[in-house]
Amino acid sequence: MELKAVRNLRLCTKDCLCLYVCPYGATDTEDSIIDISKCVGCGICAQACPSGAISMVPTEYPPQQNKRDDVISVLNHLAQSKSDGEVTARQIAASTDKTGLKRLMTAVAKSQRLMEEDIEREGGFMLPQSGNTHELLMELIENPPTSDFPKDAAEKIMELVPNNEENY
Amino acid sequence: MKYVCQICGYIYDEDKEAVPFEQLPDDWKCPLCGAMKSDFKAEAPAVEKAYVPTHTETADLKKLSAGQLAAVCSNLARGCEKQYKAEESKLFNELANYFTAITPAVNDATVEKVAKLLQEDIEDYPHIRDVADNGKDRGAARVCVWGEKVTRMLSSLVNRYLEEGEQMLADTDIWVCTVCGFVYIGQEPPELCPVCKVPPYKFEKIERGA
Ligand code: SF4
Ligand code: SF4
Ligand SMILES: [Zn+2]
Repeated sequence: MELKAVRNLRLCTKDCLCLYVCPYGATDTEDSIIDISKCVGCGICAQACPSGAISMVPTEYPPQQNKRDDVISVLNHLAQSKSDGEVTARQIAASTDKTGLKRLMTAVAKSQRLMEEDIEREGGFMLPQSGNTHELLMELIENPPTSDFPKDAAEKIMELVPNNEENY
Repeated sequence: MKYVCQICGYIYDEDKEAVPFEQLPDDWKCPLCGAMKSDFKAEAPAVEKAYVPTHTETADLKKLSAGQLAAVCSNLARGCEKQYKAEESKLFNELANYFTAITPAVNDATVEKVAKLLQEDIEDYPHIRDVADNGKDRGAARVCVWGEKVTRMLSSLVNRYLEEGEQMLADTDIWVCTVCGFVYIGQEPPELCPVCKVPPYKFEKIERGA
């Protein structure tokens, strides 16, 4: 599996040990982002970093787990209910003058969205690289739900993120 | 007798406590997650139950709603973030915001409706869990374990608000676990998320007047 080093800028304390150890000078850049065109994935910098700020991430991901139809079906139903709850809570938060209720409904809307994201992840949209994701993007580009659908964004994603199930 | 918090699993063991559970004051709260006394249940012996499909479940390949697509896209944005793909993450968030904006409004946006939806979800979870277990899908089972607890907490808080009104939240902050969605009422976030066990810095404070 091919790996590349990435630096977490929030954890990096800039003590620069990684600068000295990279045999290819990939860690020394003006924007602090490791130059992946130079990185060969040896992992020396990640081991040397005292802050655990460098991770070795794969350049390719395995296909996501197949999901059974019955699991997807029950998860979809739950996801829709979470979405309805989120929309309702958000609407209340936007229209009320009561400060407590406004905060509580904001929290409920956020919480419902987080649960819904988790449900969608287990319901077949785990990986941006998945065949499902690509099919969905393709469908949206071909049949945009409204005329102001951000087609460019969808096309750009398809270009940047490879479909890892194309050959399966 | 032991009483178990239905939200975080905290056990109130009468053998080890000075006060019998029933005699605790009505405003007593779970020491771990802040749930109400009414969120506790007497520990019941486990019963074996068999999987009974309630209806034939086939994947609904009909189009996902705009609301669902918003969550699909914001979830994929998080996925990209975890893979250190900042640009891709931004693009997925752009799609998510678009779908959030076109999600149709509901015409009965009341706190009672929020409470009702939460209650329906609570009743739904055991069935979803059965389907997940039957399909040996432990990822989907995890969604049930976390989601049911978070949903119970939301339901408990919304019902409490319906009873107590604004005074419930007058002098306290509201925190949301950015990993699992657990909502906590208090001056400070909990030491550990009672549901997904992440540290306090993963909690986001809901700002006043935001
Ligand atoms: S060694 Fe780690 S902490 Fe130091 S500059 Fe490199 S990435 Fe940052
Ligand atoms: S993994 Fe090796 S080549 Fe890549 S940046 Fe780190 S030290 Fe340099
Ligand atoms: Zn949590």
